[in-house]
Amino acid sequence: MCYDRRLYGVQAARKLETVAAVEQLKLHPQDVQVTKLPSGLVIASLENYSPASRIGVLIKAGSRYETADNLGVTHLLRLAASLTTKGASAFKICRGVEAVGGSLSVSSSRETMVYTVDCLRDHIDTVMEYLINVTTAPEFRLWEVSDLTAKVKLDKELSKQTPQIGVIENLHAAAYKNALSNSLYCPDFMMGHISTEQMHTFVQNNFTSARMALVGLGVDHAVLKQVGEQFLNMRSGTGTVGSKAVYRGGELRHQTGADLTHTLLVSEGSSVTAAEATAFSVLQCVLGSGPRVKRGSNSSSRLSQAVSKITAQPFDVSAFNVSYTDSGLFGVYTICHPNAAKDVMSAAVGQVNDVAQGNLTAADLNRAKNQLKADYLMSIESCEGLMEAIGTQALTEGTYHSPEVMSHKIDAVSSADVISAAEKFMSGKKTMSASGQLVNTPFVDEI
Amino acid sequence: METDSHSAATGRLLVGFRKWYYNACGFNKFGLLRDDTINEDPDVKEAIRRLPEPVYNDRMFRIKRALDLSMKQQVLPKDQWTKYEEDVHYLEPYLDEVIHERKEKEEWQKK
Repeated sequence: MCYDRRLYGVQAARKLETVAAVEQLKLHPQDVQVTKLPSGLVIASLENYSPASRIGVLIKAGSRYETADNLGVTHLLRLAASLTTKGASAFKICRGVEAVGGSLSVSSSRETMVYTVDCLRDHIDTVMEYLINVTTAPEFRLWEVSDLTAKVKLDKELSKQTPQIGVIENLHAAAYKNALSNSLYCPDFMMGHISTEQMHTFVQNNFTSARMALVGLGVDHAVLKQVGEQFLNMRSGTGTVGSKAVYRGGELRHQTGADLTHTLLVSEGSSVTAAEATAFSVLQCVLGSGPRVKRGSNSSSRLSQAVSKITAQPFDVSAFNVSYTDSGLFGVYTICHPNAAKDVMSAAVGQVNDVAQGNLTAADLNRAKNQLKADYLMSIESCEGLMEAIGTQALTEGTYHSPEVMSHKIDAVSSADVISAAEKFMSGKKTMSASGQLVNTPFVDEI
Repeated sequence: METDSHSAATGRLLVGFRKWYYNACGFNKFGLLRDDTINEDPDVKEAIRRLPEPVYNDRMFRIKRALDLSMKQQVLPKDQWTKYEEDVHYLEPYLDEVIHERKEKEEWQKK
């Protein structure tokens, strides 16, 4: 009896709630809004009505903008993100962000630095203030910065635990003459030798409005625009002009006693904005960009299938594809037993050659396109992925392409485009980076 | 007008007293500066850590010279004594900042 009554109570209450909710919620789905201010600052946002917000400042100030005398400065800047600023002390930033349950993070690539904050919608103002302070008004106090040297060392030691990082760093050092050859990590000889003045100069020259994008998810565009106009307009102009990356090709081998040999062989690929960029992405899926089914047989990967025929030992092989604003790298990445390295490499390159010869079925092409489309669409489902997609597009092109445009682009790739991309890899000047036991690994001119 | 000259007079008097007190303390005879003699509590230690290297090295030189003189029961020749006008409060800005930071932390803890 008592139970019945309680149940009625619950039902009544729920009805009331839904009625109220329907009255309140008249939310219309919105598109990504992009504004470009006269200063060159691009502001992009998407109101997704999420209770959690994410705001990021992207700056064209990656390691490619380092010069010979400030190599490694971006690594230090990455670590210096939570140090004292003109508006808030290191202590206040840390505690302030913690107190509202938010998070402040920074990451940098060869081209861009990204400062991101996450928080619940109610605390946007608080957290945004810290974000603005960190990106526009750092103080870089001598004693705080000198404490970072230990962290730089730790970062480098940790990176050595992952051979892939070393292989990709060496690949860039071998492939380019300048700009993109700079490492993401501070070189040993610069550790502890980067002055606070150098950090200030780098920020002064690179953190300018014309090279920034302010991106928000779950924020009102008008609010974000106001913030951008008010606070991120401090340094106008384009700052120092970076040099154009020059591809040279070459080889770097790193001998270690590891049980597995990592080899990465590439040619110059395509830049982000080039017409052939999508063709290279499709080619990557044709060849196989990684397992689709966990512990599956990887049957859709041409590279995997070819290599499994010649070695019974564990291996991993995938197509490698990175694009930057003015260049890119495309090739194959193999990990295998040292004795099999030569055969595995030639089998993998053989597959790309096969595609270059025109050996590409319509079914394969279709599967690759589906994989690429699904990968893209699924990546923008997550907050991080969507932020990255909007941010990089806002920064490089000043606009945002909807998912429809992207999938049309992928559909438009013909088999001839993919074949010509494969041909470009086969005929291009090669760069190779290898690490592990290299007795049986061929040199770049032997492939 | 009258009050102006009055306050100027007291100001002069105060400076005179300060000078007398400075010399009476006697550390200037060892060639020390006022900030060399501050008791090293945690705040001061942190402030010293933040000093630029040349300033820190000068401080260490003065303190070592003073210890040496004190051990030998001597003082510097009079022309090398620190003068009141020449004393620089080199540690003050750093110390103020350290204390400000500590206060900020204490305020936060109270919340």
